[in-house]
Amino acid sequence: MPEKNKKRPYTLLWILLAVALVAVFAVSFFDLPSIFGYTPKSSGMAQALFPTKEQPVAADTIPLDSIGVPTRMEPDTASHTILFIGDSMLDGLSPRLAAYADASGHKLYSVVWYSSSTEIWGKSHRLTDYIKKLSPSYIFICLGANELYVKDIEDKRTPFIREMIAEIDTIPYVWIGPPNWTTDTGINKMIAENTADGCYFKSDGMTFERRSDGAHPTAKSAIEWMDSVVRWMPEHSSHPIRMNMPENTTARPAQIFIHQPGEN
Amino acid sequence: MDFTSLPDSLGHLLTYHREAPLIFSSGLFWVLFVCFMPVYALLRRRKWQMLVFVIAFSLYFYYKCSGWFFLLLVSTSVIDWFISRAMVEIGSSAGRKWLVALSVVISLSVLGFFKYANFFLWNWNAMVEGNFQPLTLILPVGISFYTFQSISYIVDVYRRKIAPAETWGEYLFFLSFFPALVAGPIVRAENFLPQLRENRRANHQEIYGGLWLILAGVIKKAVIADYIAQYNDLVFASPTGYSGFESLMGVIGYTMQIYCDFSGYSDMAIGLALIMGFRLDINFNLPYKSQSLTEFWRRWHISLGLWFKNYVFYPVQRTKLCDNIRKAMKKKKNRYGMNVFPTAISLTAVWTLIGLWHGFDWNYLCYDWFCGLIIISAELLKPVYDKVNRSAPKIFASGWMDMLRTLRTFLLVSFSFLFFRPDTMEVTIRMMRNLFAKPYVYQAAEFIYWHVYDLFLIAVPLLILGVVDGMKYKGIDVYERFHRFPAVVRYAVYVGGILLIYITKGDMSSGGFAYYVF
Repeated sequence: MPEKNKKRPYTLLWILLAVALVAVFAVSFFDLPSIFGYTPKSSGMAQALFPTKEQPVAADTIPLDSIGVPTRMEPDTASHTILFIGDSMLDGLSPRLAAYADASGHKLYSVVWYSSSTEIWGKSHRLTDYIKKLSPSYIFICLGANELYVKDIEDKRTPFIREMIAEIDTIPYVWIGPPNWTTDTGINKMIAENTADGCYFKSDGMTFERRSDGAHPTAKSAIEWMDSVVRWMPEHSSHPIRMNMPENTTARPAQIFIHQPGEN
Repeated sequence: MDFTSLPDSLGHLLTYHREAPLIFSSGLFWVLFVCFMPVYALLRRRKWQMLVFVIAFSLYFYYKCSGWFFLLLVSTSVIDWFISRAMVEIGSSAGRKWLVALSVVISLSVLGFFKYANFFLWNWNAMVEGNFQPLTLILPVGISFYTFQSISYIVDVYRRKIAPAETWGEYLFFLSFFPALVAGPIVRAENFLPQLRENRRANHQEIYGGLWLILAGVIKKAVIADYIAQYNDLVFASPTGYSGFESLMGVIGYTMQIYCDFSGYSDMAIGLALIMGFRLDINFNLPYKSQSLTEFWRRWHISLGLWFKNYVFYPVQRTKLCDNIRKAMKKKKNRYGMNVFPTAISLTAVWTLIGLWHGFDWNYLCYDWFCGLIIISAELLKPVYDKVNRSAPKIFASGWMDMLRTLRTFLLVSFSFLFFRPDTMEVTIRMMRNLFAKPYVYQAAEFIYWHVYDLFLIAVPLLILGVVDGMKYKGIDVYERFHRFPAVVRYAVYVGGILLIYITKGDMSSGGFAYYVF
């Protein structure tokens, strides 16, 4: 180490930290490319300093009528084979839905694809594979949490959401929106526009207790989240199904399929 | 993006929000530290300017963690400062005793109020069948840690082990020093004040050694602990949905999580202090390598252990009760009783107080009773163990037996966390039912099949950390060797470490540390 640097030991360290900070800050303005299927996380610094104008709505001010169909549908009392697909949010939601399924005579299959997005599902056609394999009569989807920061999201993601909806075809479904921890760049609006009436549960605006990562709801909060979806269904879903209140808080789905980040 | 909102966004980021305390692994701290460093570098040779600047930064740091409670910290420092000065002025031993008692009572009353006021209200409510509402109390972050520092300072001044701080500013600097403020290590004035007076400067190796520790700490906390926590949190939150093997993985996962979380925080604190030219004592020394629970507690949260040893264990040993026991045993020529009974009494006092420190909660009480009972029993049965070990075959002294003892201790520690981690005893009981009553074999294969990628992601950094720690244990300083590498390689590693943290951790929001709640 040159003598000059030894006299000013903090200078190099400061430069190192400041340059890294500026780089991380600058990168947060852009979408990061996927590397071997893994999309590096954004620092969120740009969003924290310059949020988009749309502000999250408080839970009690969400006009629920605007999300689902306004008329109450008679619930379908048949037993269903339910397929629940999505990202890591299923870790919290799936055990609660399994408890409802057990109490209502349904059979639940969960497919958790960690760090997945509408793009990953839309490109992979894995949803079609699972529909063929399990013949579900009802589908729940929870996706979008890994796409809160995507710029120009309508151009980039609309084809994949449409692809997923096409794969679902005529099977009734409910898409549970992401539990925003920050203002999104339009994922909620885009899903709402591309799903059928009464098929989208908007979670943005709900208040969650978060896990230590600041993003995922705690298990208790995820249970309340799933309860909100179930309470929403009879009034607003286009195809409500029987959902009896379970005695156990959580249960285990009939089978869980796991996919890791980077799988095709 | 709305660029006009910058002032509002900055205002929001820089003011106190209970749900977003300032922690070392957050992006905001990084930004603040980058602003802090050049000013500190400029002022570090001018003691008074440096003191004022670091105190201001520390108080702001505490304000971001605990809001207006930073004023409580300032008040504590004022009271301690005047009492310590008065102790010097007053010559009489009785007067000094009253003063030290006054300071300790004030410190413990404040701590006790925040920790136990509602507990007493609830119980009073139950006894008189009243209808009181619990107080809306928020425990100031890190209050225990600075209270311990305050008590150790006053007691050491009373014992004439240290001279009191020369000025109030010097004492406030010690009490509010931001690297160790909210979750330790518990700094002792005896070690810290002389460093402040020497006004020594960090050299090149210390500064980069500090950065090395910070990066290791952030990787432990933000990458490993937070990643494992995602799984553990779910298992502990709804154990009914998990099999025996999954629950076992949750318990072992938590054992690793809390170590990476807490020791990661300590590494960051020690690293930050080192960059500023202050040496803090280590807080963890390979705790999971311990061969007994007693040894584990010597290696885990070392600064707390030393504090209890110096300010509870030894004072209890010197009480009349212990003296009388020793005398009585001496008369009976019972050497075993002479040593062991006073030790057992002191350990009981230590573990009762650690239990009280954790809080009035059945889970914490069971955790502390469990640890305390095993450690006290080990002390009482020590002569039996020694006898067995002396007469046992040679295999009992082999490395294999050491490994078995280490595994036994690890499992005991993991089991003890079954009381520590859950929010209620109901969850503890359900977890135990899962662990001891549900089948394992099929679930083990299923779990490994599903989580092979996660296990790999967790195993690799843990293995690296284990190797680095293990080398340190054998006297090989990995950082010292790393420091000999060409500068380009070193900086590439530092930049790589920072990027690794941010591409895996990402968001500026960050979870709190496990020990914030104490």
